[in-house]
Amino acid sequence: MKRRRRVPFRARLRRDWPLLAMVLPGALLLLVFHYVPVLGNVVAFQDYNPYIGDSPLQALLGSPFIGLENFRALFATPAFWDALRNTLSITAFQLVFFFPLPIALALILDSIMSKRVRSFVQTVVYLPHFFSWVLVVTFFVQMLGGAGLLAQELRQAGIDPPEIMTNPDTFILLVTAEVVWKDVGWGTIVFLAALSTIDPHLYEAAAADGAGRWRRLWHVTLPGLRPVIVLLLILRLGDALSVGFEQFLLQREAVGRQAAEVLDTFVYYHAITTGDYGFGAAAGLFKAAVGLVLILLANKVAHLFGERGVYARS
Amino acid sequence: MDTGATSRRTFLRLVGYSVTAAAGAGLLGGCGDKAAEGGATQKLDALAGVLPEAGPLPAGIPTPDIVSTRPVADGYTRFPGTLVDAVAQQPGAGGKPISAMTPAWGPAPPSGADNGYLTAVNAKLGTPVEFSVQDGNTYAEKLGAVLGARDVPDLLCVPGWEVSKLARFGDAVQALFEDLTPFLAGSAVKAYPMLATLPAGAWRNACWNERLMAVPNPTDNPFPFVLFYRKDLLGKASLGPPTSLAELHATGKAVTDERKGVWAFDNIFAMVQMFHKAPGSKDGWRLKSDGTPEFKYETQEFRQAAEFMAKLYAEGLVHPDVVASRGADAKQLLQSGKILFKQDGMGMWQPMQAEQQNVTPGFDVAPVPLFAAGGGTPLAWGDDEPISYTFVKKGLGKERVEEILRVVNWCSAPFGTNEFNLREFGAEGKQHTRGPDGPVKTDLGFKEIQNQYFFISGRSPVVQPTPQTPKYVPDMLAYANATVTNLEKDPWDGLKFEMPAKYKAGLVPSEDQINDILRGRRPLSELDAVVKEWRANGGDEARELLGKALADAGR
Amino acid sequence: MRPVWEEPPSVAGQVAKGSVLTAVVLVVLVPLWVALVTSVSSRETINASGGLVVVPRGIDLSAYRIIFSGGQISQALWISVLVTVCGTAVSLLVTVPAAYGLSRPGSVGHRGLLFFFLLTFLVHPGLVPSYLVVTGVGLKDTLWALILPSALNVFNFVVVRAFFQNLPGELLDSARVDGAGELRILWRIVLPLSKAVVAVVGLFYAVGYWNIWFTALLYIDDNEKFPIQRVLQTFILAGQTPQTSGTAVGTALPPTLAIKMAVVVVTVAPIAAVYPFVQRHFTRGVILGAVKG
Repeated sequence: MKRRRRVPFRARLRRDWPLLAMVLPGALLLLVFHYVPVLGNVVAFQDYNPYIGDSPLQALLGSPFIGLENFRALFATPAFWDALRNTLSITAFQLVFFFPLPIALALILDSIMSKRVRSFVQTVVYLPHFFSWVLVVTFFVQMLGGAGLLAQELRQAGIDPPEIMTNPDTFILLVTAEVVWKDVGWGTIVFLAALSTIDPHLYEAAAADGAGRWRRLWHVTLPGLRPVIVLLLILRLGDALSVGFEQFLLQREAVGRQAAEVLDTFVYYHAITTGDYGFGAAAGLFKAAVGLVLILLANKVAHLFGERGVYARS
Repeated sequence: MDTGATSRRTFLRLVGYSVTAAAGAGLLGGCGDKAAEGGATQKLDALAGVLPEAGPLPAGIPTPDIVSTRPVADGYTRFPGTLVDAVAQQPGAGGKPISAMTPAWGPAPPSGADNGYLTAVNAKLGTPVEFSVQDGNTYAEKLGAVLGARDVPDLLCVPGWEVSKLARFGDAVQALFEDLTPFLAGSAVKAYPMLATLPAGAWRNACWNERLMAVPNPTDNPFPFVLFYRKDLLGKASLGPPTSLAELHATGKAVTDERKGVWAFDNIFAMVQMFHKAPGSKDGWRLKSDGTPEFKYETQEFRQAAEFMAKLYAEGLVHPDVVASRGADAKQLLQSGKILFKQDGMGMWQPMQAEQQNVTPGFDVAPVPLFAAGGGTPLAWGDDEPISYTFVKKGLGKERVEEILRVVNWCSAPFGTNEFNLREFGAEGKQHTRGPDGPVKTDLGFKEIQNQYFFISGRSPVVQPTPQTPKYVPDMLAYANATVTNLEKDPWDGLKFEMPAKYKAGLVPSEDQINDILRGRRPLSELDAVVKEWRANGGDEARELLGKALADAGR
Repeated sequence: MRPVWEEPPSVAGQVAKGSVLTAVVLVVLVPLWVALVTSVSSRETINASGGLVVVPRGIDLSAYRIIFSGGQISQALWISVLVTVCGTAVSLLVTVPAAYGLSRPGSVGHRGLLFFFLLTFLVHPGLVPSYLVVTGVGLKDTLWALILPSALNVFNFVVVRAFFQNLPGELLDSARVDGAGELRILWRIVLPLSKAVVAVVGLFYAVGYWNIWFTALLYIDDNEKFPIQRVLQTFILAGQTPQTSGTAVGTALPPTLAIKMAVVVVTVAPIAAVYPFVQRHFTRGVILGAVKG
């Protein structure tokens, strides 16, 4: 990198302008449709009233600035810390118990020899992603709820059915099971694409060296997938404070706030339903800041392990 | 990894936490307080001067078959044979089309010239109304966007139940909508005789910032909740509707049969509170005997209601689907006989009866007559807040506003007039046919008519005949008129509140904890701690505001 | 076909794999089956089962008849196909070059531009400001309002970029030595090797456009321009009069569970039909061929 810097800027520009031209349309779209409206998040530092002045812009400029008051209020709310704790536990739990599953499923799918079976299974498992959360939760209730299939079978057998859908202590298992059902197949897609880019010669060479099935998996397949895995892991960390919203809203009464409040539902109840835009924007910026820190850290760690990560080492 | 799909979560992220709640809107039809932010109070009493003078209904419309006690509307059991003309002059001056935004529940009707119904009504109006019909379940989100961006049409319908979801609505009204006081106050309303027939209570609700800001669409019944039961199924078990709390509990126990998949109840906590005479109309506030405001949490009645409801949960009398998810389809459960009691608005009754009587022979759903837990006279929650408000965009000019109000006036013609008939049923032979029982909508009618003009009107409310379910009008009005005599008195009636944001935010954790108590996750004894926390989180502030409001109003 | 170098599968392994896959497929298929069966059930059947139907009892297509009557759906389908095809094309045309343009560390402005892109993953604009921008640039009530604001998804951008960076560098270098321009390298060398990731990201985009609902709610008032999900949504929610309203604000069409499930089927079926075409591009050995050739 240092070496490259010595090339004079003009020469680099002459060399790289086609690349810049390729980036330009995307950058323009982001500028217009993302960065311009993002300026509206300035309300995080305001006692924002959308209806003062003659136009929305005047309202934005005219609302009194109150410094970090919204952030102070956010951090002073005990429910915020509860929600944050729940969110982080669920993220951590799902990183361990959900994140690897699409990889495993992709490996199994990839090893199916019959094209027809493979295509069928792949198509089937990716469909639940398109079910709404209301429907997913309904299916779980119909299967595992107190009036569901399992409970009624147990009752016929004279056994008291366990509380699966309404137990706050095992709620984290339940929501993870729901996420697995909904998204494990969808999650395999990227990995299947990545698997297809691994050079078959590597397998042949490994087999020739006497490496068995499992050794090939360990020494060829996983290293081939590693960049994608690391990348998705980092992106997931950047989004660590989002674990779902509607899923938790639907099951909130069933297990209580202590178990089901996550950051998104907290913001919904404390900022959106009360119309406190500044408070909500402050929570959004907090979330972005946490995501940024986590991405930077994760990327650093990735570099330590010799991975490229989301962006290259400087 | 949910990159593409429009999950609601993506949506919440999309808004950067800044605005509105598309999230779960359909799920959260909670009953909110009509308030925004700030902590200001508006006194409508002092504003008697801005209200329109009452005028008579058009001559020649039939007298109602059932006369009701207000705010319950009068009822008709049959359609009149002849209709009268209510508005002689064409309202529109042929100006440019009037843009309007209204809600609809169901597939969007065709727009513009493709819709024969709109064409027919617009021809009568002289100046066409161009509708943007929006999904009623996500209407609050759409409203949030157009209000915040100040991109409002000439006529905007705001349903009454959405007002509480809109932040700083009082400010929005002032910034965006025309002050209608000069056009409608006092005798000025005589230019719009249909509007003069609306009840005064509705007009009082249509004032913001001490001015008359909208045309109200008055309600036809004031009750937010009714306890419905399957009369046919209880009858089969030789049971009648419960007349006391003990009977409700006993009936619930008797009909619950887990092995058959039958449980007695939906979540009926609002009704249980009502049976216990806990306050509910003013969002749960009432006056103590010493004249200070107290909130439902602080009352003995609420405590007993919570204890009773917790018992229903603990004994497993509430359907597990309802317990497990907010997305449970309790209407379907009632239709299937998997639950026998459900609390809902009055609006559930007739459509369900009409549909299900064709599916299940003998299907009969009816309301449980209201009773009081301790005997004596019961207490009914309710108010006369209008169904919706119609606002006129600010700054259109005097003549245009007058033209628009004449159009609204035409749309507000009452039952029994030709205008009403056209508005409600379209043209004969196209959108409806005339049978022996009155007009019957055709398929084209169902497709094209989605209450477009209803939602830019205020009409003198009546309960219309329902030939499909002939018992409905008498039964419904019998219940409503028996119940309305016990309507909870609202000491703040006519006062509009802007509750402090701190209070609104503080209510959520309290509701959550009370929910924990009901579901048995916390003991009832923790209610005192909940109350204490609620008081510290804005409850006492709200009490002060409410007390001061009364004092200011001189009550 | 099993490659020659691979040992024959062990019985235990086959059994384990087979049972895992069977279990996974069953767990997914049963609810799909339930949705399908419920969508073709009569009201009587639905009432008898208390909700979702597992065992079919006769076939009643009235739910589908209701959805497809009136021609609104066919119009909306056409709109959605248009938006999905054009949107996906636009998105790929924007995303792929951007990903390629930022795939080489050390190029001019690389770091700054990359952060410009990545930051959009973290900070999100509010609804009203977005509405103001879309209205302000004149996109309101046009189909472009459904496409342009979300045309570049930074997640997809990052994925494509990562795949580009994993391509063998010697290939690109040799092309550059031969004097090929960047556009030519992207088109002739990089893209043919990246069919899999382009297919995946194209799928992500297409699914996103197919599911567009909320943006349509905000920006499209003319119901001749409603996309399919915007229309189907009204069938799902029809008849849910607000709880707080005591008044029946008329609903022409009471919803049945069958209609809701029919909507699910209508939504999911095209997506199921498209996937096999995407899968086709997940074939091994493309890169190998290129390096050899």
